[in-house]
Amino acid sequence: MGEKPIWEQIGSSFVQHYFQLFDTDRTQLGAIYIDASCLTWEGQQFQGKAAIVEKLSTLPFLKIAHSITAQDHQPTPDSCILSMVVGQLKADEDPIIGFHQSFILKNINDAWVCTNDMFRLSLHNFG
Amino acid sequence: MASKPVWEQIGAGFVQHYFQQFDSDRTKLADLYTDASCLTWEGIGYQGNKAIMEKITSLPFQSIQHSITAQDHQPTPDSCVMSMVMGQLKADADQVMGFQQTFLLKNVDNKWICTNEMFRLALHNFGA
Repeated sequence: MGEKPIWEQIGSSFVQHYFQLFDTDRTQLGAIYIDASCLTWEGQQFQGKAAIVEKLSTLPFLKIAHSITAQDHQPTPDSCILSMVVGQLKADEDPIIGFHQSFILKNINDAWVCTNDMFRLSLHNFG
Repeated sequence: MASKPVWEQIGAGFVQHYFQQFDSDRTKLADLYTDASCLTWEGIGYQGNKAIMEKITSLPFQSIQHSITAQDHQPTPDSCVMSMVMGQLKADADQVMGFQQTFLLKNVDNKWICTNEMFRLALHNFGA
């Protein structure tokens, strides 16, 4: 059996790590962002590790569980990795909602960090 | 009024052009890709202008219409623009379906091209 391409391995490890951390203690997600990182959360923009972690930490739910339906990963021309995730989440006792999230991962000083993060609920995508 | 940041203008301009071209004559999308471009369409990977165009032009529908629900754009550290689009599409007489698409745009020789693209229907993202 062939091994998965390296960008698939890095991308899917990141996705696993990110959502595990998000679901257990999202205040610790600061480690994966840098000061140049951008987050767009439901259309609202945040830049830098501090602003991003503050946004994530103050989201209005106590517990959350993500489940991944599909994930795709590609290498980019600048040696980054682009990842797109489609999944479902359950926050507190709310109904399950679909979500979409895309990331760019970059290797800086031997560590993979998230430079770009975009999140949308699929809530409003059905008419 | 403040004008939109440049990456929003570039991203939104690309998205408008891409879907207009896709819906009117998708054989003309080739201008947007280079030989290094990657497309992942419903989990299957294609690389290079030729392979991508072959995939897009052989999609099994005659007419298609996209409508965009939301789009987000960000600048990346390597001076690219990342765009994420959520919307609905109607192919031929099929029912309307949700989709998600992510693009990475790069300026090569004074032109914005698409180096990375991922597409997924939202079809299978509802259970519960």
